Amino acid sequence: MKKNIQMPKLSEKMESGVLAAWNKEVGENVEKGEVLFEIETEKVVSEVESLESGVLEAIYFEAGDEIKVDDIIAVINCD
Amino acid sequence: MKPMEETTVIYIENNVTDPFFNFALEYYLMTEKNLNEDQVFIFWRTEPTLMIGKYQNTIEEINEIFARNHGVKVVRRITGGGTIYTDMGGWQFSFITRGQAETIDFNKYIGPVIAGLEKLDVPTEFNSRNDLVIHGKKFSGNAQCLLNGYTLHHGSLLFNTDFEQMVKCLTVDDNKIISKGIKSAKERVTNISEYLKELIDMDTFRQLMVESIMQGSKKEYRLNDDDLERIHTIAKEKFESWNWNYGESPKFNIIRTGRFDGGKMEFKMDVNKGKITDCHIYGDFFGSIDILVLCHALIGCNYERESIKKAIEQCDIKKAFYNINEEELADIIC
Repeated sequence: MKKNIQMPKLSEKMESGVLAAWNKEVGENVEKGEVLFEIETEKVVSEVESLESGVLEAIYFEAGDEIKVDDIIAVINCD
Repeated sequence: MKPMEETTVIYIENNVTDPFFNFALEYYLMTEKNLNEDQVFIFWRTEPTLMIGKYQNTIEEINEIFARNHGVKVVRRITGGGTIYTDMGGWQFSFITRGQAETIDFNKYIGPVIAGLEKLDVPTEFNSRNDLVIHGKKFSGNAQCLLNGYTLHHGSLLFNTDFEQMVKCLTVDDNKIISKGIKSAKERVTNISEYLKELIDMDTFRQLMVESIMQGSKKEYRLNDDDLERIHTIAKEKFESWNWNYGESPKFNIIRTGRFDGGKMEFKMDVNKGKITDCHIYGDFFGSIDILVLCHALIGCNYERESIKKAIEQCDIKKAFYNINEEELADIIC
């Protein structure tokens, strides 16, 4: 099953965040709880952990991109 | 994360003014040292320092030549936001709290700081960029990071900072740089000391702020020799390293142009993880030169003066460029 990874909403006023760095590459295995990427919003740097285990199948943004809350950032194949 | 009223807090007195040590102390408390208390509070200051936001492009934010010539240290933070200048006329505060809040909250950390300032009758407000201002002028910038199950909130307090030096350090040459790094916001600034009814010195200010924020608690942790050894190691290996302070910058493209007797020269370079990954040279310079030799020498070297000078020295440029020496060429490139 494929799971979409979305830009999380970290505060009430947050509308978007900057994808600051990827910790995984396409094709890599990801375990639940591992840090997938880092985001920055409102001067806060935050590590985002994967809620799924599987293979990182696709990423739609690169480091430095500003992404709206709930936009799909990546896909994990959990099969 | 516990509610603030149930949180146990411990204070660490830190009189070290080396910014590399002080950032290493924060990092050590978040990644290695597990104190029993829920929160650690530190109040500290630094020698003249430029503190760069975690995802900023360092060379895009600072006047590196001025900083180098005036002994101003450059260090990347682990928190977000823009670049700030700090010196011995300002204070920094750090709250390191166990647990990561689900949502971002600046008020619970800045609240006690504002309360302390109110006791000194400083008319403080909180603006939309999570800065503290007096009559619209910023005197405190704040930033956070969530790491390893801890939340770090730190902020600056301008008390009697040298603004002339600050402006010079942050006035950047008009290089043509394209990057996706986080940009700093230019804001008007002010010093707290200008608003005090009764003038107090730096140490008295610190004492009053620490007492207020600790709410009378005398709970204190003293760093032991083992702590200090690890903190010094982290400072040296991480916060003092070129790789962290420059190499960690997001990838960027830069155009540098030089004019001299021999003509005009333009370098277009791509820099990724601090290294030159592509280079093109244009110009109307004279000399019998195979530009590709120089390009190849530059590709793969750190975008940093010493590495670039070494690369140029391998190329025997005297034959290649009319009337330009290695120093001048290095000045153009970096």
